[in-house]
Amino acid sequence: METYQIILIALFVYLGSIGSIIGNTMGWYTLGRPLVASLVVGVILGDVQTAMIVGIPLQIMYMGNVTPGGAVAWDLSYATYIGVAGAIVFGIGLDTAQTIGLAVVFAGIGGLVGQIMWNVSYAANLPLNRVANKYAEVGETKKMFIPNVVMGQSIGFACRFIPAIIVLTSMTAASAQSDFAAIIPGWVTTALGVFGGMMASLGMGIILSFLLKKNYHIVIFLAGFVLVTYFSLSTMAVAVVAIITAILYYVAVSNIDKKGVA
Amino acid sequence: MTKKISEKTLKKSFWNWFLWHGCSQQAESMLGMAFAQSMAPVIDELYDNKEEKAEALKRHITLFNTEPQVGSICNGVVCGLEEANANKACTPELISSVKVALIGPTSAIGDSLWVATFIPILLTICLSISQASPVTSWLGPVLYMIVYPLGTGILSWNLFKLGYKSGIEGMQGFMSTGKLNTLTDTMTVLGLIVVGALTASFVTASVPFRIVRDVFDATQGIILENQVIFEADIMLDSIFPKILPLFLTLGVYYLYSKRKWSPLKLMGLILIIAGVFTFVGYVTGFYV
Repeated sequence: METYQIILIALFVYLGSIGSIIGNTMGWYTLGRPLVASLVVGVILGDVQTAMIVGIPLQIMYMGNVTPGGAVAWDLSYATYIGVAGAIVFGIGLDTAQTIGLAVVFAGIGGLVGQIMWNVSYAANLPLNRVANKYAEVGETKKMFIPNVVMGQSIGFACRFIPAIIVLTSMTAASAQSDFAAIIPGWVTTALGVFGGMMASLGMGIILSFLLKKNYHIVIFLAGFVLVTYFSLSTMAVAVVAIITAILYYVAVSNIDKKGVA
Repeated sequence: MTKKISEKTLKKSFWNWFLWHGCSQQAESMLGMAFAQSMAPVIDELYDNKEEKAEALKRHITLFNTEPQVGSICNGVVCGLEEANANKACTPELISSVKVALIGPTSAIGDSLWVATFIPILLTICLSISQASPVTSWLGPVLYMIVYPLGTGILSWNLFKLGYKSGIEGMQGFMSTGKLNTLTDTMTVLGLIVVGALTASFVTASVPFRIVRDVFDATQGIILENQVIFEADIMLDSIFPKILPLFLTLGVYYLYSKRKWSPLKLMGLILIIAGVFTFVGYVTGFYV
């Protein structure tokens, strides 16, 4: 990776992190999603195709990664930007399944660093309350942005951008040392591929825990499953079928409510 | 003269919140400082002397937390209450207690309906678009980057206005309409079908077990070397295609949802399973 590429990716790691200056709607929930992050990394590194190949499974894997009550279990922004960049830099000469496995490993490293930094910033922000209190005591409405935005984001930026630069720089240095594909033994890449394929079940399993509210719901889930396995429909086709079904369901349920049959 | 918050100030308050709700979160007041910043322009307009402003700011730097996108309704409600308070139609105590009371329901609705249901569904639709062809795989993320922030922004601003207009009643009215339940159920149906399809397409797991033998071909009278006479995967797939990924996913769901395993623990389990499967695969000659 070139220096400007490292800086750009680190900048997006910061923007996509939770509580960045552009807000969680555009940051954490948009730039921080693996699907979007992989496109961004792909554009920066000039390899959109590989980036999307690893980005799609990463998105599936981390689909269940929501932040109830702001509890960050895993820093998605860190995980995906580092994961996708790692897969592109080190994945030369590996096949698709192995590249994905590699992305999963790098995402794990990135996610861990991100989570540590999140905890650091969460603690470092504490003294800001004293500053805010001082301004509030004297009714300084115009200065309330200082503790919140100026100070809070100086800490946030330092905790996200700098570690990301360090991780990305060491990755670049390591990749220049030797041909990665040649030095890892075959069984490791095979295991990585197997692991990557299985990891998708984690994302799906967690999402199911939000969606499965009644026991019979599992049949609806199975409907989507067999549309792919028995009927060989693409996921896009199933999405269209799902939208139609949902609309019919909504109309049917609304009508029942009106007639008072339910 | 009755005091009224101008449209411009309301917008300023909203943007302060929409962009900077998470800028200084910490364990002491959570989003308290961000909430106070959102209220600052409103307070500035409603109250005349420093003492009143200080009083108002102090009640808003206290602990506050919510799912910020849907939770913008809280800011709207508090704007409405502050306006009433400035006109002596409300008390500071009521503002504080309403604010605290709103934390629970808005967090719950925001997290479950928006973050845990809407985002995954929108993502899965965009994923399917990306997956359709490698050439147009950029289309999915681009669509998401447009639809999600725009849709959420519009929703958030309208909830803010709804909160402001109707104060406390607005919140109760929103919660009690049966429409919300029907809508949630509909989203669930949509989500489940798509998640089923994604599971079938993306979770891969095979039983790396095959029996390889040299077989004597009686018709030609020769020995055929290394013939696969049993392949676990093919047998399983003939019963129910992709049965292993299905059970793996449902197993993870069970452990996460019913047994409360953490994602990290599950990751470890999957790593172990993958390791064992790879090992078995090498032993039985599935991987060479």
